[in-house]
Amino acid sequence: MSAVEQIEPSIDHYLAEYARVERDLPGSDESKRGRSAELARFAEAGFPNTRQEDWKYTSLAPVEKRRFELSDTPHAIGMDDIAAFLPEGLEAYRLVLVDGHFVAGLSDLDRLPEGVTVRSFAAWLNDNAGATVKAAQISEEPGSLSAMNAALFTDGAYIETAAGAVLDKPLHVISVASGAVDERMTQVRHRYVMGENSQATIVEHAIGLGDKAYFANAVTEAVMGRNAQLTRVRLQQESGRGYHVSSFFAEQRRDSRVYNHGVDLGGRLARINTNTRLVDQNAEVHFNGVYLPTGRQHIDNHTRIEHATEHSISRERYKGVLAGHGRGVFNGMILIQKDAQKTDSDLSCDALLLSDKAEVDAKPELEIYADDVTAGHGSTVGQLDEDAVFYLKSRGVDEEGARAILTYSFAKSLIEQIGMPAVARYVEAAMLVKLPGGTAFADLA
Amino acid sequence: MISIKNLHAEVEGKPILRGIDLEIPDGEVHAIMGPNGSGKSTLASILAGREEYEITEGSVIYKDKELLELGADERACEGVFLGFQYPVEIPGVSNLYLLRAALNARRKYRGEPEIDAVDFMQMAQEKIAHVGMSMEMAKRGVNEDFSGGEKKRNEIFQMLMLEPSLAVLDETDSGLDIDALKVVSDGINRLRSPERSVVLVTHYKRLLEHCVPDRIHVLYQGRIVRSGGPELADTLEAEGYANLETDEAATAS
Ligand SMILES: Nc1ncnc2c1ncn2[C@@H]1O[C@H](COP(=O)(O)OP(=O)(O)OP(=O)(O)O)[C@@H](O)[C@H]1O
Ligand SMILES: [Mg+2]
Repeated sequence: MSAVEQIEPSIDHYLAEYARVERDLPGSDESKRGRSAELARFAEAGFPNTRQEDWKYTSLAPVEKRRFELSDTPHAIGMDDIAAFLPEGLEAYRLVLVDGHFVAGLSDLDRLPEGVTVRSFAAWLNDNAGATVKAAQISEEPGSLSAMNAALFTDGAYIETAAGAVLDKPLHVISVASGAVDERMTQVRHRYVMGENSQATIVEHAIGLGDKAYFANAVTEAVMGRNAQLTRVRLQQESGRGYHVSSFFAEQRRDSRVYNHGVDLGGRLARINTNTRLVDQNAEVHFNGVYLPTGRQHIDNHTRIEHATEHSISRERYKGVLAGHGRGVFNGMILIQKDAQKTDSDLSCDALLLSDKAEVDAKPELEIYADDVTAGHGSTVGQLDEDAVFYLKSRGVDEEGARAILTYSFAKSLIEQIGMPAVARYVEAAMLVKLPGGTAFADLA
Repeated sequence: MISIKNLHAEVEGKPILRGIDLEIPDGEVHAIMGPNGSGKSTLASILAGREEYEITEGSVIYKDKELLELGADERACEGVFLGFQYPVEIPGVSNLYLLRAALNARRKYRGEPEIDAVDFMQMAQEKIAHVGMSMEMAKRGVNEDFSGGEKKRNEIFQMLMLEPSLAVLDETDSGLDIDALKVVSDGINRLRSPERSVVLVTHYKRLLEHCVPDRIHVLYQGRIVRSGGPELADTLEAEGYANLETDEAATAS
């Protein structure tokens, strides 16, 4: 064995895995060449490691030491298995992927409005021989796991909106890891191509069933045409032994708007990269996020907003709640390029520590090369106000309940911004249920 | 109702209450006055179960139970209510939600079923009328964006809803205009009954004119240095707290 093989034996496994499934992967021979180029890039870079500044606090060693395999077919599950993950009262189209494969029987894509395409990414690729696959079409630094995803992805949601088209109801995209077999992985990729003046709301929901270890590696790309608007809610509820990495890359043309709301409740370990480039004037982006590691969960959010040209707007707000031995990481990079005069940007990250065993590293990171910009930022780490805890207890609420209610109060204003009341309520209830003593107050939502 | 004996309390080794003795019979209203920093709020919060104070000596017997052994939430369920000098804001959690949770906590404590939603709303509508608040305000977050006066009204609204046996009101009359003062004093008088007792912590005689207390006690440097009938308020207003040091020497000897 050569030295290289000794250091990176896990890479060999994924090369072999690619060889095993290549024939069955969707896409033309041309696109397979693209995939194998990405595989080579992944093999060369390897898994990210903690020597890299961006991965300082998050070790993927537990992922790297395992040998995850793709599922050739979706495990047979029914609506009953996912019913608990459907927000009550949410009227939505639904696209369901199980173990990385589109399942028509669980999906509901009837009567989509004119000008809106929503379909399996695999099917779309098979129909479009000329389509290329790159780690990220719209990012120069997509990272090795995005390359891994480009090589290995099996399916996802492909959404295209024609100029002026409006998706009349939200689209609920659910990616289920069935947990039927140990050490499986899902490699799911979504692509949103938003035409001029078009509008869509998409809830991307990652869920895990069962108690087997798995790796979910997802990529979403959004190309925002002029004056297009995308609301993307990313709900992460992987199961307790799920390892989750997901990356979002958007490119925003003139007057386009992206509202991205991340909610991280699940997973043993989760790393989320949320990126956008504002490449034209008056483009606007809002990144909001709530994360709640409890037990021994580790949740790491890295965001990057690049203001590439003048007069664009960004607002970013993250709130973390950390309980038990929970570990949180937030890094919010705002990059304002030389030409991005009159940028208007504001970022804040607040974290609430509910236990002295919990830990968080949260920081804004500003890189500013233009001289006429407004760029506010703030960061707080605190604990619950003991006066407020006493106030609630003096009214008869028990200690845990008081803490759960105040935690809810901390996160609520941000969750409300999701805009869809059914989804906000779902998130609030899911959050309360995770908190000690919170179940009794789940009706707060 | 409550019997406080030789109560000593400190915070970080610093004595704050230095031997309080106080008896409040059923149905009586007692006022506690005294200069800033004398320990009035400390006494009030210790009665309600605040844990940051270390009780070094003494006992507080409430309805035949040692109150000091109960948590703040249990005391609330036993009928103790504290009106806060500085009520807390809890955005996003409505006043009504908190009240329903509070009432249900009491019911659960007593082994009773939860309050019926319709009964609850009826009760809330009736009681809120007494304090001049609107239901719209009750649906807002707890004290969220309330003015100082609105917060105090809300404390009285909560008190009327929770119908405590022992209400300890810490400066609920401070910073109120005359209309709000009327609301607060009417609320207290409404609660007055042979089964309920009230402790009014106040700096101002005007509240005591609306709610005439059975006894007035003067707290000074962590001790009650003088007690008397309602007329004591006039003496204090005329003389201030200037002679208290000599009083304390007299009590200590
Ligand atoms: N948590 C605490 N830590 C340190 N000191 C405290 C604490 N609580 C009260 N004290 C001190 O104890 C003393 C009594 O305070 P307390 O608030 O009980 O006074 P008070 O009589 O209510 O005054 P006021 O009329 O201004 O409301 C003060 O010297 C105060 O600084
Ligand atoms: Mg006070």
